[in-house]
Amino acid sequence: MVLIFYYRPVGEVFANVEAITTLVPYGWFFRQLHYGSGQAFVILMFLHTMDHFLKKRYVHYPFRVWVTLILALFLSFFTLFTGFILKADQEGVFAGRIFMNILQTIPIVGDSISRLFIVSGNDFFFLPYLYHCFFLPILIVYLIRHHIREWLPEKGFMMAGGAGLFLYALLVKPGVAFPPDAGAASVEGPWFFLGMQSLLKRVSPLWAGIVLPGVFAMCVFLLPLTRKSGAFSSSGVWMLWGKVDWLRYAVMVMFLLYTGLTVKAMIWGS
Amino acid sequence: MEKRQVHRVRLSELHEKGMDRRGFIERAIAWGVSMLCGGLFAYPVFSFMTFRKSRKRTVIFHSDEQGSDVFFKEGVYLVHEANAPRALSARCTHLGCTLNFDPAADRFRCPCHGSVFERSGKWLSGPAKKDLEHVPMKQAENGDLTAVVTL
Repeated sequence: MVLIFYYRPVGEVFANVEAITTLVPYGWFFRQLHYGSGQAFVILMFLHTMDHFLKKRYVHYPFRVWVTLILALFLSFFTLFTGFILKADQEGVFAGRIFMNILQTIPIVGDSISRLFIVSGNDFFFLPYLYHCFFLPILIVYLIRHHIREWLPEKGFMMAGGAGLFLYALLVKPGVAFPPDAGAASVEGPWFFLGMQSLLKRVSPLWAGIVLPGVFAMCVFLLPLTRKSGAFSSSGVWMLWGKVDWLRYAVMVMFLLYTGLTVKAMIWGS
Repeated sequence: MEKRQVHRVRLSELHEKGMDRRGFIERAIAWGVSMLCGGLFAYPVFSFMTFRKSRKRTVIFHSDEQGSDVFFKEGVYLVHEANAPRALSARCTHLGCTLNFDPAADRFRCPCHGSVFERSGKWLSGPAKKDLEHVPMKQAENGDLTAVVTL
């Protein structure tokens, strides 16, 4: 909220971010507060989803509640990713270009779709900025509006969380940022895309960036629909098919594979 | 008699629900017209949002910048060849990261996904598969080389 008064998504964006970090009073503090709370939000959101998934709680809610949760989770990750681009340092700029190029590999409509999210040239950061500060926050708050109205954490918990973030921002200084034209030997994406980065080294961009994530997202979205899969367990193979929740196992396997890839990239490099 | 009556009742029920033949045609026309109107509006919206001028950017290499073997400026590598200098786009043909030049191995390397290119721009290894883009250049009277890069 404070950063918005100083950040400008056009012109010398990297210099602007560096000015916020080093020149503007308490800029480093607000940047770390912003970074820490963003990460905390997405991680808590992820744990919340894992809780629903592992306890099969989606069975007890209407289908749309699960869809809302997953959509909000994915949009939160997208918010984090646009934030990563908006740092405008080398890894941010490269992440943005990779994102744009992956979208462009979609057959026929790729160019048009990528145009809706990010463009090359002087206004490179403008659309990610628009999503990060406007579309995504509004959409996420809209999706979880009932949740906010009906359930908020206890005051003590909120205070403790706030104090923790405050201390984090106070004690942990922002890392050194490389300018976009620095010749770093290797550049890494955000932690949640490290698995994707190693995948991109081996698999074509369309498969690694669009098809496989798309299949995974579809499986996750449709998960609650298989809870009554006993309906078509009539005979033979179908009996086995109906008794096993295949989609749930598929989601688990895909998720564990991706986690393995990500952890491997974190430890040994992608 | 009774059977015929039942049949008649069913027909009229169908008519009320708009599911007999006439109703179906009416609904099909209504649906078609609304789709057409929707499309007539959606197409300009989509065209507006996805319009992009083809844009070009020029990089000028002044004569004092043409001396070194491989020179990098604003996303373009000026590489010296036996006959004439050659301009290569520094964009990796895989997903667009800026390539580094490794003078020891005389190769271009991508820091993101590890593609490697020869000094001539030819693809050697890694996920990129395609050769680097050659950028057309013009020489001005004062010796400046102007490269025109598409964005």
